[in-house]
Amino acid sequence: MKTRLLLEKLGHFLGQDKVSQRQEMKSIREVLKKLKNKEKHLREELDKDLDHDERHEIQTKLHVVHAQRLKGLDRVKELRAEQSGNEKSKGSD
Amino acid sequence: MQRLWLAAVFVLLGYTFWVSPDISEIAAGIALFMFGMQSLETGFKTFTGGPLENALRRSTSRLWKAIGFGVATTTVMQSSTLISLLTISFVSAEMITLAGGIGIIMGANLGTTTGAWLIAGFGLRVDIAAYAMPMLVFGVILLLNQSRPLKGLGYLLLGLAFLFLGIHFMKEGFEPFQARFDLAAYAVPGILGVLLFTLIGMLATFVMQSSHATLLLIIAALATGQVSYENALALAIGANLGTTITAVIGGLTANVGGRRLAAAHVLFNFLTAVAAILLIRQMAWTVDWVADLIGIAEDDYLLKLALFHTLFNLLGVIMLAPFVGVMERLLIRHITFVRRPAEQPRFLYPEALKTPATAVAAVRNEIGHLYDNAFGLIALGIGLRRSVIESGQALTEAVQATRRLVPLDLDEVYETKIKSLHSAIVAFIGEVQQTELTERWTQQLNLLQQASHDIVEAVKATKHLRKNLTRYGTSPDPAIRERYDALRVQIAKLLHEIQVLRTEEPGAVTSLSLDPLRLSVQTARRKNMDSINQMIRTRRLTPYVATSIINDAGYAFELGENLIEAARALLVSTEQTDRIASERLALDEQELARIANAARSTVYEPNQGDLTP
Repeated sequence: MKTRLLLEKLGHFLGQDKVSQRQEMKSIREVLKKLKNKEKHLREELDKDLDHDERHEIQTKLHVVHAQRLKGLDRVKELRAEQSGNEKSKGSD
Repeated sequence: MQRLWLAAVFVLLGYTFWVSPDISEIAAGIALFMFGMQSLETGFKTFTGGPLENALRRSTSRLWKAIGFGVATTTVMQSSTLISLLTISFVSAEMITLAGGIGIIMGANLGTTTGAWLIAGFGLRVDIAAYAMPMLVFGVILLLNQSRPLKGLGYLLLGLAFLFLGIHFMKEGFEPFQARFDLAAYAVPGILGVLLFTLIGMLATFVMQSSHATLLLIIAALATGQVSYENALALAIGANLGTTITAVIGGLTANVGGRRLAAAHVLFNFLTAVAAILLIRQMAWTVDWVADLIGIAEDDYLLKLALFHTLFNLLGVIMLAPFVGVMERLLIRHITFVRRPAEQPRFLYPEALKTPATAVAAVRNEIGHLYDNAFGLIALGIGLRRSVIESGQALTEAVQATRRLVPLDLDEVYETKIKSLHSAIVAFIGEVQQTELTERWTQQLNLLQQASHDIVEAVKATKHLRKNLTRYGTSPDPAIRERYDALRVQIAKLLHEIQVLRTEEPGAVTSLSLDPLRLSVQTARRKNMDSINQMIRTRRLTPYVATSIINDAGYAFELGENLIEAARALLVSTEQTDRIASERLALDEQELARIANAARSTVYEPNQGDLTP
């Protein structure tokens, strides 16, 4: 019984990378969801009757949110690649 | 005067000890007991700065939770004073509400009664000193460790050991009295006795600064028949009243929130004491009845006293819990905020130094105050009213409508409203850093100190900018005016955007929220440079004036960057669950520069395709 518990703990310890990757992925997805909503909201704002300054301000915010989303997507792709790499190396063992 | 008083006390005590060795044993017992309390407090303080503060913050959403928290923590820590002072510092730092604080104080009053049970039920019945010996040894060994938690544990063990030793010595000290004197002969019956002994209990607690020490004294005296049961009940009521004095002293050095809570503490204990005195016969009857129910012997006055202590505090909680809201409103109405001048610190109170969490919160609030001062000064510096910037309405029009800039001695305002406050913040941070801090709190304090410095730098940039602004800001030359107007609008918009972020819910501002501001500052700088270069080429600006504008654009950029960094330290919570993800997605300098360049050359329209991962 004790050996089994120890092995479980060891497995958990060795899998720390995977756990933190999964947590990061989850966290980034949540942030991306918020950013998507924000971008949608900003686009709706742009459709309104705005003066030049207001339009420019919203566009600036839109550029930033869009770039942040792209950055987040890249990170999600990276994490996926890392995860699939881990699984492959596990399979070849 | 204080030294004379101390000398007189020493002489009096010395003489008493010479006359009666038994009194010296009782006094030594009290001294050991109080030292034990202090060691316990030190031990628990080692563990503050994390779980205790978090629990304190979470426990105040409901009154029952706050009362439960007060009961539980005081039962474990055996010090209602520590919990009261911690709660006062939390209310002062605006980390918990006044109503929540009142709940905790009520709970702490109830929790502290477990001490009487411990002394009456355990302390005087077994050879408690025997338990103290191993604790002393283990405690000292742990104390020699370098590790903070182990040291804390050492203090806790030593604290308990000294408490036990104190109880033992006091018990031993009273025993000889049993045969020789009968102090109970001086018992005063009736309401006069109740009032007299309540006053004695109060004074004893005031002198010893611990209701536990008084209770121990009462129980030890009651055990040896040196005080009558009725008078012991009154002494216990007095001890409860006396304990508020420490809280009042703590509240005096706190801000308005702390003073209100200290007042609530006094009010609660006073009303409970009045009810207990008025209903003392009924209370004594109830004690007999409950004692009979739970199997306490009829002549076991020690446990009956402990039961009385619990019941009358419970009576106070039941009586006043429904009126916490009313009490809060009354205190807020009657203990009002004496608004300090803008140049004086508003949150840096000694009470805030009690725990790292309250100290950091106080520094954060004070930097918020410094930011407010800086906001007003920068607004004046660029010739706009604070309210205009706050509304954010028609900033460009307001700037264009400026006919003249109001004369202003920025140097003087800087010295009084910014430099003095910044110095107070730095001094306070220095004081906090003298206490033992974990890496996390040190890091937060460093960030906040940097934020304070950033605000000062932003104001200095305003001072530099102001020199040319008074010269060229309302120039009849449209080209010069246009450039300075652009700088003023840029600063006003940034100030407005940061004010908007400051009104967001706590935790809503992330590193991502600040990226648009950073981009705006960068874009404005690039656009400004483009416009100036074009104006020089078309000879609308002389190189002499153009270089002045370039320098001033530099100051405006510096001002913006500093304000954004200050806003980051002030507004971005370090405890958000998605903080790491937000920081990872925040744009770096190169990414911002790329967008700024794209925005400068074309009307940038981001791809509208679906980006869902």
